[in-house]
Amino acid sequence: MQWIETEEVVRFNEVDEWGMAWYGHYMAWFEVGRLSLLRRFDLLPKQMVYLGYIAPVISLRCDFKSPAGSGDRIVIRTTVVKPEVAALTFKFEILLKENRTLLAHGETTQVLLTTNKKMIYRLTGELEKRISNLVNYCLQKSTTPPFRAGLEKRK
Amino acid sequence: MKEIVNNSEALCEFLKKMIIETLKLEGVTIEGIDSNVPLFRKGLGLDSIDALELVVAIEKIFNVIIEDEEVGKKAFASINALAKFIQKKYKQGK
Repeated sequence: MQWIETEEVVRFNEVDEWGMAWYGHYMAWFEVGRLSLLRRFDLLPKQMVYLGYIAPVISLRCDFKSPAGSGDRIVIRTTVVKPEVAALTFKFEILLKENRTLLAHGETTQVLLTTNKKMIYRLTGELEKRISNLVNYCLQKSTTPPFRAGLEKRK
Repeated sequence: MKEIVNNSEALCEFLKKMIIETLKLEGVTIEGIDSNVPLFRKGLGLDSIDALELVVAIEKIFNVIIEDEEVGKKAFASINALAKFIQKKYKQGK
């Protein structure tokens, strides 16, 4: 499975009273990863709208493994699962850049609607072409190293 | 498959079984599904991902295509409606 990686830095205003990145921000980081992947395949939200579609998220899951702190450099890894139905499922991993420790991983699922808000049950035409390019890319063998589990987070 | 499609009662039974198995519905029996209630929301309470999974199962089993929500609204109105929809499309496809 091929993942694309995007880097971010945890901002001072993103940590809570306990010095840990607030849980809701992980969803914003997922979004950063999603957009960098979609950009490569001309599937950015506005490009989808141009084709006549929108793709609202209908489910979201996130498991938190180790807290990120202010100033941490993080790597957001994103990929897409081969779809069995006309929906898009993204997988995400958030790692600490310095030693690739897994901080969190999660998943979102989006269904596809026409801009008139009618759900589509099958992919056709240009949308199908672009989504299958995206899926085929993600099905390739990974060229980035996986995360490392069970490490001490900081030296 | 042709015999089942031509027999409305057998087809309804088959569809109920297909729905229970495809969606892995726990605690739902064939006898427990009313053939006249809507499959989504108020009736059986299925959601949009369930619709996508049923569409794929119906295409695989009957080679009948349900393109979108507009067609789905009629097809998934009830088990009886779905049976009628499949019977009509199955004949057209032959």
